[in-house]
Amino acid sequence: MEMIPDRLPPARERGAPAWLRRNLFHGPVNSVVSLLVGFVLLSAVSSLVRWTLTGAAWAPIWSNMKLLAVYRYPADLLWRPVVALGVILLLLGLGAGLSKRAGKGVIVGGVFWWFTGATFVITALAIAFWPSVRLPWAIASGMALAGYGAGLRVPALVRIQAWSWAVGLPVVLILLYGLGGEGPMEVVRTTEWGGFLLTLVLAGVGIAVSFPLGILLALGRRSDLPAIKWFCIGVIELVRGAPLITWLFIASLMVPLLLDVSPDSIPALARALVAITLFSSAYMAENVRGGLQSVPSGQGEAARALGLSGWQTTRLIVLPQALRAVIPAIVGQAIGLFKDTSLVFIVGLFDFFEIGRKVIPSQPDSLQYAGGVLLEVSLFMAAVYWFFSYRMSMASRQLEKELGVGER
Amino acid sequence: MTQTAQIPRASAHAPEGGERIIEIDGLNKWFGDFHVLKDIDMSVNRGEVVVVIGPSGSGKSTLIRCINRLEEHQEGAIVVDGTRLTDDVRNIDLIRRETGMVFQQFNLFPHLTVMENITLAPIRVRKWKTSKAEERAMYFLEKVGIPEQAQKYPGQLSGGQQQRVAIARALTMEPKVMLFDEPTSALDPEVIGEVLEVMVNLAKEGMTMVVVTHEMGFAREVGDRVIFMDAGQIVEVGSPEHFFQNPTEERTRGFLSKIL
Repeated sequence: MEMIPDRLPPARERGAPAWLRRNLFHGPVNSVVSLLVGFVLLSAVSSLVRWTLTGAAWAPIWSNMKLLAVYRYPADLLWRPVVALGVILLLLGLGAGLSKRAGKGVIVGGVFWWFTGATFVITALAIAFWPSVRLPWAIASGMALAGYGAGLRVPALVRIQAWSWAVGLPVVLILLYGLGGEGPMEVVRTTEWGGFLLTLVLAGVGIAVSFPLGILLALGRRSDLPAIKWFCIGVIELVRGAPLITWLFIASLMVPLLLDVSPDSIPALARALVAITLFSSAYMAENVRGGLQSVPSGQGEAARALGLSGWQTTRLIVLPQALRAVIPAIVGQAIGLFKDTSLVFIVGLFDFFEIGRKVIPSQPDSLQYAGGVLLEVSLFMAAVYWFFSYRMSMASRQLEKELGVGER
Repeated sequence: MTQTAQIPRASAHAPEGGERIIEIDGLNKWFGDFHVLKDIDMSVNRGEVVVVIGPSGSGKSTLIRCINRLEEHQEGAIVVDGTRLTDDVRNIDLIRRETGMVFQQFNLFPHLTVMENITLAPIRVRKWKTSKAEERAMYFLEKVGIPEQAQKYPGQLSGGQQQRVAIARALTMEPKVMLFDEPTSALDPEVIGEVLEVMVNLAKEGMTMVVVTHEMGFAREVGDRVIFMDAGQIVEVGSPEHFFQNPTEERTRGFLSKIL
């Protein structure tokens, strides 16, 4: 028998017209819906663009940028948070350079260039408009490039990579908080922190702590030891049983009461961090538990049969598979936490959202505008939140792809 | 032998004179209230190939899973290479190090390459240097006939190749006993042969093996002894010739007539 050669599908099934027919104009109902939705979208977008370019009052946002960024952080010490950002970019850059050199993955590099690009833009703005922070922003940009260059040139640095974070993160905290005394390193109390800086601190610490804590809670929940198991179940179910806003209230009002100290002796930032981190850990734990359940029991058995210890089996075999199965849920939780930080106004903190919602609209230059500037500020904040959230979700998709979820 | 309603209890001790590597006495196990293994007496000499057959649910998989403590037993004694299985974690780890196991579902680690699958335990448990572990891994990959697959992930291999990797993984730990739990039951018919061939070679080289299988050809070719289990008991023990030519027990005959 002769082999029949492969042929292309008929011409009407190929190209843009076929796509349009299949997806937008498949039958009369689809066609009408497509046209209606298209019309509504078009008119909405066009009025938004018109308003953005001609009607909106963007000036108050521009002139109050410092409030949005750091709130009451002393103006003459602004170099400290900027250089702290530089330190983080340096560490990220080191990782990006090293993984580029080793030909491994694009995730760290992608995140690094995304935020370094944003830093370059802000540096350019600073050079043009904000003389007092010109130099710090230039330094931060330089640190980012230096980290990347070092990673690219010196592969041996891979050995100090973990240590560099262990040293770098305390340096970041010291830069933000200060060491004491007068002068450049004087203490800036957390009550002075605010704006996007505070949002980043809350989200960064919250994510960094709740991830390992969530894993521990999830493992504890599956423990054979009843005390550990029931403790973990208790924590998870209790914390998940009430909204975050409740826990923020409890943290700010009840904790000082329970510890029998004055409310001021525990900084509001610390109370908010505890509430946010615990809350996120409980959800993280349930995500991780879902992943743990998806790993077939044969995996653990094979590892144990080879002589691996229980902890080695968990760490090397079960957890890696469990975590990769729930990457989307974990990143979703991280994105949620990032945005949930906007609730900390409950404990009297002035995060990015609170500044945009309350502080900016009440500034003298905002009050000149009859309709207020809340809409403008809201759009601006939405754009900033989106910039970060989207980047996280992008990294999640890259991570899934790189780890070959669903392929292996 | 007189016919009784009861299933007779046979002991499956290895011939005298050999060096005992597995010794099981009076083993009983329950899953909840279900009595899954009943008064098992059995031993294996060094270099012996023991094939365990029986209908599904007869407890044969549970039996070999007790030997490396993947299942906990409630009564009786299991001694492997002089180490008695107790609750002592050190003893359990010691026995697991000396017994390799091959599973029906392969149980390769999907997130690790073939090479990483094989070298993980030698490096972490035996504390070998990576270079030595990789060298030994390649030796056994060649032995099972797939050295060219070392850098692939398990998901990229066929079932037969995966099972051969699993055998290489167990062998690289240099175990004294190999336990096979229905190693060909999950395989497509056309690749069963390649796995059996590896097992036959292993047996001929003198590896001590306990094999739970439905492959009667394998039992006939390399089995030193065949153990027939039913309803949690050892019903009959004998050489392959005895088994396939004139089994004494009614249950054995019934089982064999269904599968042969």
